Amino acid sequence: MGGALDPRSAQGRAVINRFDPKRMALTLLPLAFLAVVVVAPLSRLLAEGWDHLSANILTDAYLRWRIVWSLIQAAVTCMLTLLLGLPLAWALARFDFAGRTLVLRLLMLPFVMPTLVAGLGVLAPAGPHGVLPINGQDTPWLLLYGNLFYNLPLVLRAGVDGFAAVPASRLAAARSLGATPWRAFWRVEWPAVRPWLASALCLVFLYCFSGFGLALLLGGQRYATVDVEIYSLVAYELNLGDAGALALAMMAITGAAALGYAWVEKRLAAPGRVEPIAPRRPATLAEWSWLAVALAMLIAFSGAPLLAVLGCALAAGPEAWAVLVEPDTLAALANSGRFSLIALALASVVGVAHALIASRSLWLRGAVFLPFVVSPVCVAFGLLLLYPSWTASLALLLSAYALFAYPFIAKAIAAALDALPASQPQAAQSLGATPWRAFWRVSWPWLLPAFRRGLAFAAATTVGEFAVTLFLSRPEWMTLTTLIYQRLGRPGAANLAEALVLSALLMLFALAAFVLIEWPTPLERARRALATRPPAATELPHA
Amino acid sequence: MLELIDICKRFGQRCVAERLSLTVAAGETLALLGPSGCGKSTLLKIIAGLEQPDAGRVRFAGTDITAAAPEAREFALMFQDFALFPHLDVSGNVGFGLVERRVKRAEVRERVEAALAQVGLAGYGARRVFTLSGGEQQRVALARALVTRPRLMLLDEPFSSLDTNLRQSLQQVFRRLLTDAGIPAILVTHDRAEAFALADRVALLRDGRIVQQAAPAELLAHPADAWVARFVGFDNVLGSALVPEQAFCFGDAQPLRRIEALENLAAGIRLTVAFDEGPLTLTLSPREAAGLGEGLRVGGKVRVGIDPARMIPLPA
Repeated sequence: MGGALDPRSAQGRAVINRFDPKRMALTLLPLAFLAVVVVAPLSRLLAEGWDHLSANILTDAYLRWRIVWSLIQAAVTCMLTLLLGLPLAWALARFDFAGRTLVLRLLMLPFVMPTLVAGLGVLAPAGPHGVLPINGQDTPWLLLYGNLFYNLPLVLRAGVDGFAAVPASRLAAARSLGATPWRAFWRVEWPAVRPWLASALCLVFLYCFSGFGLALLLGGQRYATVDVEIYSLVAYELNLGDAGALALAMMAITGAAALGYAWVEKRLAAPGRVEPIAPRRPATLAEWSWLAVALAMLIAFSGAPLLAVLGCALAAGPEAWAVLVEPDTLAALANSGRFSLIALALASVVGVAHALIASRSLWLRGAVFLPFVVSPVCVAFGLLLLYPSWTASLALLLSAYALFAYPFIAKAIAAALDALPASQPQAAQSLGATPWRAFWRVSWPWLLPAFRRGLAFAAATTVGEFAVTLFLSRPEWMTLTTLIYQRLGRPGAANLAEALVLSALLMLFALAAFVLIEWPTPLERARRALATRPPAATELPHA
Repeated sequence: MLELIDICKRFGQRCVAERLSLTVAAGETLALLGPSGCGKSTLLKIIAGLEQPDAGRVRFAGTDITAAAPEAREFALMFQDFALFPHLDVSGNVGFGLVERRVKRAEVRERVEAALAQVGLAGYGARRVFTLSGGEQQRVALARALVTRPRLMLLDEPFSSLDTNLRQSLQQVFRRLLTDAGIPAILVTHDRAEAFALADRVALLRDGRIVQQAAPAELLAHPADAWVARFVGFDNVLGSALVPEQAFCFGDAQPLRRIEALENLAAGIRLTVAFDEGPLTLTLSPREAAGLGEGLRVGGKVRVGIDPARMIPLPA
C-alpha cells in the first residue's frame, strides 16, 4: 500500500516513463478491454433485468427455489469446508511427515482442473452408470461433493498459510504465560488464522453461488443453480426477460459477497517475515491418527474424483480410446489449441499492460479481480445481449476467454513487480541502458517466472473453459470441452466412456500446467532459498 | 566539473532541496553528509537523472545536462543494496554497461576480467551473484561501475550494509581505485567517520540546504554552527562555543567537580562531569586515569577546568 501511495515512488516512476502517448495507451488498453468485455455487457444485462423485474421471481416457486437452493448449497459448502478445513489445515501446518511438501503443492492441483474433469470424476463413480452401488443422481450430495473437491483445498491452503504466519515466539509466550495447547490455539492461533479463513470463505461462497459447470453436470433437475437456470432460459426457452431478472438478483448477491471479500482482504495483514513454527513429527498415537484421518479426508474429497477419471478412462477399453483419433476429436483439439493460443496472446498483452499500471492506484489494482468475481454466465449473456450482430464472431468468444485468463497473468506480474527493487532498473539506466532496454534486460527477466506461472494458470483456465463456451460457441467451433459435453448428452455407456477418455486427456493438460506452475527453475529455487536465509549463512570464507 | 545550480525539489510538503548549489572538481571526492531523510539520496538521483528537479540546473563539464536521460550522462551510480542483477552471473553484471555501449564481445570479456582482477575477484566471472558474500557483492558492484569508465561516480551509502571490519578494508580499496582512475565521486552517507575517511571535501546537508562545506580538518576546526558541531561529533556544545578535548585542563589549581557518569573504553575512560555551565563529557587516556586514582567513580570528585583560549567559538 505504501508503494502505491508514496509520492516518492510515484515521482520516481514518472521520470522513468515520462508522460507520452505510449503511457496513455498502456493505461487505456486494459481499461478499454474491461469496459467493452465486462462493464458494458453487465450494465446491459442489468438494464434488461430491471425492465423485466416483476414479482415473478418472488412469486414463482420454481425460480424462487433456484435462488434459495443456490444460497443453501453455497452456505453449506462454506460450513463444510470450514469444519473440515480447520482441523485439516492445522494438521498440515503443524505436523511434519514424509511427503508434506508434495501434499502442500498438490493442494494447488484442483485449481487448474477443468470443471468437466471434476464433474466427471464425481459422476463416473456415483452417477447413474457409476461403478459404486450408490446413485447420487437427483440428490444434492453430488453437487456438494463436487463443491468440496474445489473448495476444500482453497480453504486448506488459506488455513495453512494463516497458521504459518503465526510467529513461534507468540505461541511460546502464550504457553509460558500458562496457556494449555488447546487454550493457546483458541486465544492465539485461531484469532490469527480467522481473517485468512474469512477471505477464503468469501471466495468459496462466490464460486459456489455462481457455480455453473458443476451444477449443470451434477445438479440434475432439482439441484441446479441460478446460473444453470439462466443458461437454460436463454439457450432453450429464449426467455430473456426472466433470465435478465434472475441475473439481476444473482449479481446483487454476488456483488455483496465480492464487496465482503474485498473488505476482508484489505484487513488481511501482509505476512511479515516472522520465524514460523517448525512442523514437528506427530508424537502420540492420537496425533498420528489425526494426521492420517486428515490425509484420508483430503484424498477422499480432492483426490478421488481425479483418480476416478483416470481409473475409469483406463478401464474403458480400446474402443473408447479410439475416440482420440476420430476426426471430430482431432478437429476439436486443433480448435482448442488454436483458440487457446490466440486468447493467451491477447490475455498476455492485456495482462502485462494491466500489471504495469496496477501500482498507480488501488482501484486499478482492484480492477484486476473483476473478472474473478463476475459470473461467466452473466458475462456471456450480457455479451449476447449487447453485441447481437457479433454472436457469430470468433472475436467475441476469444475476448471472453482472454477476459477470464488475463487476471492470472496480471496478478502474478503485479506481485513480481512489487518485489522488484526500484534500484534494479535504475542501476541499468545509470549503466547506460535506455528505459526500454532497462525493462528488457533487467525488469523482464525478473518478471519472467511470474509471467510463466500466470500463463500456465491462464492456459489451464482457457482450455477448460466451459460456461462462456456453451453460450457463445458455434457447432463448427467444437473444442475439447464442448466435445466432452456433447458426448455426455448422448445416451449410453459407450458415450460416457468416450467422455471419460477425453476428460483424462484434458486432465493431463491441466497436470502439465500444474507442473509448470509449481516446479520452479533452478535459478528461482536458488533465489528463494536466498530470500529465506539470513545473509550470514551465505557468507563465504573468502572475503 | 559538476555544478548544481539553485536546485529545488519537494515531495508534497517535504522539501528535499531548497535553492541548493554545489560543485565537484575534477578528480575530487565529495561527501554529502546528513541525517536520514535530509534529501541526500534524492539529490544523488537528481544528479544521476533518475529524478527531475522542480527548478535549477545540473551542469557537467560546461554542458547543461538537466534534461539529459540517465543513460546519456555516463555517470555510474552505486546503490546501498548494490542492485546486482540476480538473473545474470558476475561477468554479466560487470559487463552490463559495456553491452549497452555496444562494445565488442571479446573486448567486453577482456575488460570484465581486468575489472574483476582489479577488485580482487579474478575467476569469479561464472558465479551467481546471490552466492557471493556481502563484501564480494559490493566489489562486483564497484567493478560494474568502474568498468564503464564513468565521468562521475555516485555512491549511495555503499558501505552501510557491511560489518565494521569489512567496511574499513573496503573503504581503503575504494579510495585507492578512485584515485588511480582519477574519477570524481560523490558519496552520500549519514556516517561521519565514513565521510571523513573517504572524502576530500564534506558538504553537510540539513533540510534541503547545505549548511557547510569544507575539507574534513577545516570542518572539525571551524564548524559553522551548533548543529554542525554536534553532527560532526562534538559532545560539548555551549551557547556560543564548543569545548574540545584539548580545552580541558587538570591539576591542583582547578576546582573539584562531581563525576556524574563513567564509561570504560579501550582508549581510556569517558567521564561526564558537572560544570557550572552544565554536564560536559571528556575522555581520559589510561595514563591520565591512573594519575587521578581513587576519585574516579560515579559520585567522586575530580579537579578539572576549561581553558577559554582553547575553546572553539561558533559564528553567531
